Amino acid sequence: MVPFLGHGIGLRTKHFPDLLEQGRRADWFEVITENFLNVGGRPRAVLEAVRADRPVVLHGVSLSVGSVDPLDVQYLRDVRALADAVEPAWVSDHLCWGTFGRHNAHDLLPLPFTEESLAHVVSRVTEVQERLGRRILLENVSSYLTYAASTLPEWDFLAEVARRADCLILLDVNNVFVSATNHGFDAAEYLRGIPVDRVGQFHLAGHQDLGTHLLDTHDAPVSDPVWRLYRDAVRRFGRVSSLVEWDDHIPPLDEVLAQAERARAFEKTVLEGEAR
Amino acid sequence: MTLAELQGLLHGRITGMVPGREEELTEEVLPRPPLEALERVEIYARMYLYRLVDAVAEDVPHTARILGHDAFVKVVRDYLRAHPSRSPDIGQVGRHLGAWLRTRERLRPDLPDLALLERARSEVRTALDAPVAGAEALQALPPDTLPAARFVFVPSLRVLRLQHDVRRLWDVLEQDAGESPAPTPGETTVAVWRQEFKVFHAGLSELEARALMIAREGGSLEEVCAAFASEPDPAQAAFKTVLSWFADGWVAAVTSQGA
Repeated sequence: MVPFLGHGIGLRTKHFPDLLEQGRRADWFEVITENFLNVGGRPRAVLEAVRADRPVVLHGVSLSVGSVDPLDVQYLRDVRALADAVEPAWVSDHLCWGTFGRHNAHDLLPLPFTEESLAHVVSRVTEVQERLGRRILLENVSSYLTYAASTLPEWDFLAEVARRADCLILLDVNNVFVSATNHGFDAAEYLRGIPVDRVGQFHLAGHQDLGTHLLDTHDAPVSDPVWRLYRDAVRRFGRVSSLVEWDDHIPPLDEVLAQAERARAFEKTVLEGEAR
Repeated sequence: MTLAELQGLLHGRITGMVPGREEELTEEVLPRPPLEALERVEIYARMYLYRLVDAVAEDVPHTARILGHDAFVKVVRDYLRAHPSRSPDIGQVGRHLGAWLRTRERLRPDLPDLALLERARSEVRTALDAPVAGAEALQALPPDTLPAARFVFVPSLRVLRLQHDVRRLWDVLEQDAGESPAPTPGETTVAVWRQEFKVFHAGLSELEARALMIAREGGSLEEVCAAFASEPDPAQAAFKTVLSWFADGWVAAVTSQGA
């Protein structure tokens, strides 16, 4: 398994002055891998300063592990070089696809949950783990469509990928809630379908209700229903590192840190309640 | 439909590269009230365009401002058809925009040059770090090896050949200092570089531009100095220029075969 790091936040450019000049810190930081590949200047300096006294995790958005395109070997070499330099606590990406014909859509597109997809993803995750020299965590994505071809529920698909490829799961609680709302499944059933011993990290984030669907926007505080689902997740999976993502309309650092503190408080309440 | 066929179908629609095929999409994607299957696909298509518009605008904010929101979205949509993203880094999606804008008609004529300058500044901001050499690196070489000395430049130096001088336009936009000045046609060479975390740009004289080009292409100090032969005091002009490269942090190392 992976170590428990506490309650972290995403490393974002807007907070660089607070982090670099004032030395402000969360328990740990997650960085978007692609923003730091072959990069120098201020971003690299901030990453090194933060890494000097806090754990860092690399979170990719471009692995495209479900794509039928060949794996991007140069990209994997670059990720490995960054990982060797930064020594992250772990490396994660998404259970999705985003490229076709080498054309990157820069999106986290959902897969059909079929045996064909499952075999394809498992073989790719296995190769990725070999090339990176480590186990990875795969995150469930928010989605806005489902396929007629799907034969498995998403949670069974995710659990089976993790089991067959021997990888771990980054369970995005907000994404579970968003997709459950958009597709009409039971979020609690999703949590029950995920094996306890595979979850290495939680994601928490805000979303927007557009009336016809929920959109995973990362531009707001975590909503109350997602906090409730987070408490259910802590009840099921126990003490797992959590990470608050905030990528748009980013508020001052204190506000993001307050969300991480809220996660800590909810976790404490749940775990102390269980202990009694 | 195989996984490959399904991804091709959806990707073509979302990116706008393969329009149509509604019937197949309706068969493959499930509707769920209140949204039909195609409306669900459309969510991704909108996100694709606006995510990439935002990424390009981050590179070239002043170019985007001059065009205005709607025109910029249209420009980026057309640009993406010509230059779909091939990089895992979304920050690279706008790297061909300036050159591509030259192929567009009915634009402000200096807009491609402004975009090239902005993109270069963006690249320089995060270019790889490198140690910076001082002038003493040159002085440390044995005198007889000096003519053959060659320069290694830092990765955060860019040299642009522009068709307009857009420096004043960039200043006005950067400082939000009123109306944009009229385009200034004329070939201009601009160097863009970084010191610590700050990005600079400056125009180069024709002589310096030629000398720098020679040096960046691996020419020797002797060849660099020869670029100043038309000057009243060639040695002094060359010395002054080369020293400014060190002072601005452009030089990573000086090498000499004899050293």
